[in-house]
Amino acid sequence: MKLIKAIVRPNKVDEVKDALERLQISGMTVTEVRGHGKQKGHTAIYRGQEYNVSLLPKMEIEVVIPDSVVDDAVKAITQAARTGEIGDGRIFVLPVGESYKIRTGEREM
Amino acid sequence: MNQPNVPPLVSAVDPRAARAARLEAARAELRTATERGEGGRVALKQYSQRMDALLQQLFVEASVAAQPVGVFALGGFGRRQLCLHSDIDLLILFAGPLWPEDERFLAAFLNPLWDVGLTIGHHVREVTEGAGLDADNPEFQLALTDARAIAGDATLLDAFFAASSGAVAATRTFEALKTLIADRHARFNDTFYQLEPDVKEAPGGLRDLFGAMTIAKLTDPALFTRPGGDPRSLDDAEEFLLRVRSVLHLETKRHHDVLSHELQEVVADRLRYQGDTPRQRVERLMSEYFRHARAVDRGLRWTLRTAPLPIGPNLVRSAEGIRFVDVREAAGRPETWLALFQAAIDQGCGVSDEALACVQQNAGRFTAEEFFPTAASRDGLLRFLKPHAGLYARLSEMHDSGLLGQMFPEFKAISCRVVRDFYHKYTVDEHTLLTIRNLERLMDAAPERQRFARLLGEIDAPELLVLALLYHDIGKSKDDDHHVESARVARLMFGRLHLDRDASETIDFLVTHHLDMSVAAFRRDTEDPEIVRQFAEMVGVEERLKMLCLMTLADVEAVSRETLTPWKEELLWRLYVDTYNYLTLSYSDQVIDRNQAAIAAVVEGREPDLTAKEVEEFLQGLPRRYLQLFSREAVSRHVRLSRGLGRDVLHAWIEKTDAAWELTVITRDKPFLFSNISGVLSSYGMDILRGYAFTKPDGLVVDTFHFTDEERFLELNPEDGEALVIRRLEEVIAGRVDIASRLKGREEGALRQRLPGFSPVVHCDNDSSRRYTIVEIVAENRLGLLYRVSRAMSESGCDVDLVLIATEGRRAIDVFHLTRGGKKLTPAQQQEVTANLHRVLEGRS
Repeated sequence: MKLIKAIVRPNKVDEVKDALERLQISGMTVTEVRGHGKQKGHTAIYRGQEYNVSLLPKMEIEVVIPDSVVDDAVKAITQAARTGEIGDGRIFVLPVGESYKIRTGEREM
Repeated sequence: MNQPNVPPLVSAVDPRAARAARLEAARAELRTATERGEGGRVALKQYSQRMDALLQQLFVEASVAAQPVGVFALGGFGRRQLCLHSDIDLLILFAGPLWPEDERFLAAFLNPLWDVGLTIGHHVREVTEGAGLDADNPEFQLALTDARAIAGDATLLDAFFAASSGAVAATRTFEALKTLIADRHARFNDTFYQLEPDVKEAPGGLRDLFGAMTIAKLTDPALFTRPGGDPRSLDDAEEFLLRVRSVLHLETKRHHDVLSHELQEVVADRLRYQGDTPRQRVERLMSEYFRHARAVDRGLRWTLRTAPLPIGPNLVRSAEGIRFVDVREAAGRPETWLALFQAAIDQGCGVSDEALACVQQNAGRFTAEEFFPTAASRDGLLRFLKPHAGLYARLSEMHDSGLLGQMFPEFKAISCRVVRDFYHKYTVDEHTLLTIRNLERLMDAAPERQRFARLLGEIDAPELLVLALLYHDIGKSKDDDHHVESARVARLMFGRLHLDRDASETIDFLVTHHLDMSVAAFRRDTEDPEIVRQFAEMVGVEERLKMLCLMTLADVEAVSRETLTPWKEELLWRLYVDTYNYLTLSYSDQVIDRNQAAIAAVVEGREPDLTAKEVEEFLQGLPRRYLQLFSREAVSRHVRLSRGLGRDVLHAWIEKTDAAWELTVITRDKPFLFSNISGVLSSYGMDILRGYAFTKPDGLVVDTFHFTDEERFLELNPEDGEALVIRRLEEVIAGRVDIASRLKGREEGALRQRLPGFSPVVHCDNDSSRRYTIVEIVAENRLGLLYRVSRAMSESGCDVDLVLIATEGRRAIDVFHLTRGGKKLTPAQQQEVTANLHRVLEGRS
């Protein structure tokens, strides 16, 4: 079981969600986040004055999936979220030790 | 009414003698009653009515004036409490300025009164003088509160009051009364325990009693019936004091109101006080006097403490909030109701339950048009809708009482409307009102919201944004695309409120596109310049961008407490900034071309004297923005005036707009043209608020300056002011007058008044436009600023081709599109211009 954390452009969330659903992956957590990678923000000018936009708005999508679909999921997210420009985002794949359903207390491996 | 016994024969022979006899008969009647100790209310009312009849007869005999005239009793005469030797206070009102016939009428009416020995206090006014009532003497204002029609045109009094500001007049009268009371009491050392009291002037006397009644009349006619009031004691005191005063007039045979030691014995006898000795009778009289004086004193103090504050026509502020003085009158005048809610906003309080109940009970009787029957009432609505603290609360009160739905019938469709979208948390009507609350809260925004709050302060007509918010979701009463339905329904309101075309189009745009900015900001890749370009072209101009941005912010925030996150705010702000920059910096690259749909529409709608070819040729090469700024009529005029325009020909005209003026200039470009035009306006002390300068590649210039006439030059010279300004403009541009020397003194004064800590910003940009170097300047707005900076640019060898001028509060935000020798500026040239501009802005040259 793996946790996939994908940081994507805000406007790409729906496309990523649709792509994951096509892989029968439906449970996910979507969070509004701000940050920067290599992109490191940029300088904007408003009324002649510069201001630094260092933390860019992004969306973080988290899904926990079986090991067997990780590659497909990463591929699907990459294709859905890609524009080819700097700032398309990152995908992290993390191992998950244990998982429990809060309602029933059932443990999932 | 029984007439006193008047000898008829005398009347037939000598009118003057008849009048004297008639007056004497009335006086004898009052004397008889007073001798019996009954010179109180009944007797005085009867004497006042005799006097009315005398005046009515004189009015008829004085022949006809040249125009409508009315005679009104004031003060005690107005209250029908005329004493034996009281002055006869009259107001004689004419409909307009006095003519010789009116003077003759006055003489014929007043002279006989003097002839019979009456003391007349008369005020002769035109109805329009009611407008100056506020500045009039306070005694006159007070006397007017008891004004009563006697003869002639009684409606003139209403017209007289209508000419004044009711709100100011009522408040001033109340304040004047308080001052008069305090001054009068001071003369009596602030005590009513006077051994020889003046029954009229002393504390606890008749003036105090009438003062308390006047306050009640101005603020709350039912005041004395409210808990703590004691109307019976005041009634008793009034009767007693009037009887005493009547005896004083009778015994002294003159206007005398002091109950002196000598007169106390006489009064005690006349009023039949019991006692074996005069002293005992006097002691009983005075004991009674002090009891009544105490009641009056208490009553006045209670009134001053309890009475609500008059704040407008038929409006007072009480502890329960704003309420009507006369609820019955208010119930039939729906056009006055908005003032109730406006007063609550102005006073920072609520509307009283009593007033809301009145509105609720009667709102259904009236159509939407009856709430705003006049241009002034419609202007009042737009003023009310400007975002202010309390607007949401007042609109909620109006909604809850059914008034909002009567004023805006379309709003009823979303009352308590539930839309199950698992997104909105409130009914549609409440969501709508919450959007307005969100806007209102920007007036006092937290630091992280200041950037949006500043936008609100920059919008010319924020009331249109509020109107758009009020209608933005009305279409949710149907299940189709709600923004389309909302816009359709909003258009029904435009005609009813007589909104002008610009205002209607703005609201239509906002309602139609109210979802577009959130879609673009939250669901599109705003880092893609194409997305920004498309959005900017949809928006068109900065004013609409600002309004749409605030509308989106307010709308998203009103969905639920959690919907508008700082993350979303940031996305929204970034789209705003990118779009703003596109509109102000990149518009020069978006030039009108022959194939554009917009050009076809203008050509199609051209005026008959213009050919399609000349319209097309005129428009080609101008930025597309030009078409968004000018109406078809204005474009036609520009085309016409640009026909065969010679190098030294200048067409210029000045027009009055709502609160400012607009100068338009069409001519051929030449060095220093822009700075010369700016300089001429500054030389008359005019403050340039915004404007646009367009220069076509062929050198044709169309400049528009929106300015305020700070020194009222145009207003004070209505005949030739505009012509004088344009003549000077022609002289300056032709080089016959040096505008720099004309401005020198003014500039020095302006530079001395610099704001501390305000650093000007100059920013050069060679990237945003393909053809121009763009210079953005943000600086303190001072007289001649535009002249100085544009001159500095011209002196640096630059051509000023396009300019956007904006003023936001005390900041001027100007964007210049420059070339030098037909090309963008090199880095070295940019440095030179920037240095020159900083020198000018900092007053170093």
